[in-house]
Amino acid sequence: MANLLWLQGGACSGNTMSFLNAEEPSACDLVTDFGINVLWHPSLGMELGDNLQQMLRDCISGKIKLDIFVFEGSVVQAPDGTGEWNRFAGRAMKDWVQELSDVSDFVVALGDCATWGGIPATAPNPSESVGLQFLKRDHGGFLGKGFKSKAGLPVINIPGCPAHPDWVTQILVGVATGHAGDVALDEFQRPKTFFQSFTQTGCTRNMHFAYKVSATEFGQRKGCLFYDLGCRGPMTHSPCNRILWNRQSSKTRAGMPCMGCTEPEFPFFDLAPGTVFKTQTVMGVPKDLPEGVDKKGYIKLTGAAKTAAPQWAEEDMFVV
Amino acid sequence: MTGAVQTLDISPVGRVEGDLDVRVDIQDGVVTNAWTSAELFRGFEIILRDKDPQAGLVVTPRACGICGASHLTCAAWALDTAWQTEVPRNAIIARNLGQLAESLQSLPRHHYGLFMIDMCNKNYRNSPFYEEAVKRWAPFTGTHYEHGVTISGRPVEIYALFGGQWPHSSYMVPGGVMCSPTLSDITRSWSILEHFRTNWIEPMWLGCSMERYEEIETYDDFMAWLNEKPEHANSDLGLMWRMGMDVGLDKYGAGLEKFVSWGYLPDEDRYQRPTIDSRNGAMMMPSGVYDASTGTHKLMEQGFAREDTSHAWYDEPGGPVHPYDRTTQPVAKNDGDFDGKYSWSTAVLHADNGHLEAGPLAREMVYGGSHMEGWQHRDGLVLDMHRKMGGSNVLLRHFARMHEFKYIYRHIERCLRNFRLDEPFYVKPKEQDGRGWGATEAIRGALCHWIDVKDGKIQNYQIISPTTWNVGPRSDEQERGPIEEALVGTPIADPADPVEVGHVARSYDSCLVCTVHAHDAKTGKELARFKTA
Ligand code: SF4
Ligand code: SF4
Repeated sequence: MANLLWLQGGACSGNTMSFLNAEEPSACDLVTDFGINVLWHPSLGMELGDNLQQMLRDCISGKIKLDIFVFEGSVVQAPDGTGEWNRFAGRAMKDWVQELSDVSDFVVALGDCATWGGIPATAPNPSESVGLQFLKRDHGGFLGKGFKSKAGLPVINIPGCPAHPDWVTQILVGVATGHAGDVALDEFQRPKTFFQSFTQTGCTRNMHFAYKVSATEFGQRKGCLFYDLGCRGPMTHSPCNRILWNRQSSKTRAGMPCMGCTEPEFPFFDLAPGTVFKTQTVMGVPKDLPEGVDKKGYIKLTGAAKTAAPQWAEEDMFVV
Repeated sequence: MTGAVQTLDISPVGRVEGDLDVRVDIQDGVVTNAWTSAELFRGFEIILRDKDPQAGLVVTPRACGICGASHLTCAAWALDTAWQTEVPRNAIIARNLGQLAESLQSLPRHHYGLFMIDMCNKNYRNSPFYEEAVKRWAPFTGTHYEHGVTISGRPVEIYALFGGQWPHSSYMVPGGVMCSPTLSDITRSWSILEHFRTNWIEPMWLGCSMERYEEIETYDDFMAWLNEKPEHANSDLGLMWRMGMDVGLDKYGAGLEKFVSWGYLPDEDRYQRPTIDSRNGAMMMPSGVYDASTGTHKLMEQGFAREDTSHAWYDEPGGPVHPYDRTTQPVAKNDGDFDGKYSWSTAVLHADNGHLEAGPLAREMVYGGSHMEGWQHRDGLVLDMHRKMGGSNVLLRHFARMHEFKYIYRHIERCLRNFRLDEPFYVKPKEQDGRGWGATEAIRGALCHWIDVKDGKIQNYQIISPTTWNVGPRSDEQERGPIEEALVGTPIADPADPVEVGHVARSYDSCLVCTVHAHDAKTGKELARFKTA
């Protein structure tokens, strides 16, 4: 039996909505099959029905043992570090976050806002938002670089805008069933099992990437979205094409460029004019190259690929 | 003799794109005054300033993860009108489909996850329906709760087939959509839709075929349907209605009795050259304003929209201004002052009619009019119920929402039938400066975006969401906001457990289940403890 508390700060509820789409295991399965006791959740955990403020205080005092604290949304620090622009249960949300993180065995940051600051932290970041232990790529965030939860782990970051429901339910079950030791984290504290491979891994447009055949406009049934439309699939760590979305598809499969939402820089280039859904290039070479590939290698590779491209790669592959 | 006024500060009352707090004055067991206060500011309008014109397609779906597809729709149509694009018919259908799928998902999610849980409140233990309610609707363990919440994930699988994922895709772009589906995507969508009908709508929600339900045109028809068969009376809809009447949900929560809808679902052959002015004549679901006090319907236009910050935490001139003239300047110190500023939500007004209620009830009241063109949607059921029940109430507002499954479902079918897969889904537009406006109806109500593009970047971006209409504070003329007004007159059986306040807030769909806590404002002594199960 693990007690789980879930709160939302500068959030849109997208991660909660995504979580409700989980099927293996489903949100209800966490409770009925895996012994997770949801103390409270803004839209689910009502079975204790206790006075929320009292319950939060009981968690902080240790009267109720808090095993997992899940936080969705950014930590709002405006104005001037007071956090008053996001009040919850009568006080600044950030004060609840600090005290609850301090008493919890595990702290899970869910979605980009909680991990890196996300969309609210996009320049000029009017709400002074930060993530729990990072702001973009900077280690530290709200809780500080040295923070460790009571079980001795830093914040477990499950990024994504939103995070995929399976990443969430599987990590929660893992932690709740005593397998936290098997959750290996990368340098950004993301579970490696999901974030070691790339969005591109499993993308149906991979062969077009290999032969440098580009989708030059939206709505084409062939072509890779990297060369013209700004796809970040080769540089983004995510299993979006291995663990499909809503059991059906992924952005790139449906023709939408990956925006790299599991990486700390999302939204890239802070959405400056000319950067949305357009590949940024310098003298015809993309500014951001597939991870581990340098400019020289890229030019060689694409030159050869283009020459070798077979006829079928230029034709409609996923025909009506 | 009237008793003393007791003031309850309730924090939080659920989440409405942030945290909603409510203050109510209670006298002799009835709410006599109310204030709603939104407690989160992220400043999306500020973030969007000086950004890429298309930044709204990325940012605004994240304004609300619950109705992200509706934001995306608005963002795309706003740019379409600013850039004067051509939008091919396939793209119009694909956009409508995405939005409809999101709306269909939201119905069981709201019904089980948010609304029916309250029927398990111990205050209702003397109702003859209580035992059955707990069996079905208790969170997690309720038989229908688990099924309803889980199956709510299915309609958005259709969204994923076109947009790649739900929530938070950006597949709608000026000039069309990014996808170009194949026949297999259409067929899979059909089968998902069928599954949803045969596993939830018919056996659990209705206890009859959709076709039988679609015969209902008046309140009398509805009551006849309810009493026709035990399967109807014992369906989730039937039980909700009978228990709702038994515990008095038909007795309070009226509100302002003035309603708004932007209209939505552009017809694929009528809106390929979108402009702001041609919009009303191109929507399958008509726009409108309905004023129940005069019984009059009229069309809604973006030019009527006003925002007033006199009671909101912004340093902007008070008094109503058009959204194009907003500057979004948050105050530095957001102290709650119930005579002054007390919310991040602005008061959204109609230039002539003041505050208006948005949402499914509002839509249905509009659809009961005769102000629309003959080919546009018309349905008089809810308006008839409204008249016969003597006005709005919590039960009717929730009924109106759930009633919408019927045409959402049929419109999804229509979309799937009408694609022409060999024709384009996208026509590349020419980027240009200009002003645009995009509107739609999110499941929770009227939503729109205004964009002003200058020198190739966003100069001003303004959003008015359904929540802003409904949880807005008082206007400069001191007229209460819709939820504030709906709370007035609410009976509070037990001030230590004001479940009724939650009912009213949730009937407007305050997004997520909420817990209500009330403290005596003066002594700080805890008065209320609100349990939902
Ligand atoms: S579309 Fe994106 S993820 Fe897919 S192969 Fe191309 S670059 Fe990689
Ligand atoms: S495909 Fe890219 S942008 Fe989309 S969810 Fe995956 S990582 Fe995020």
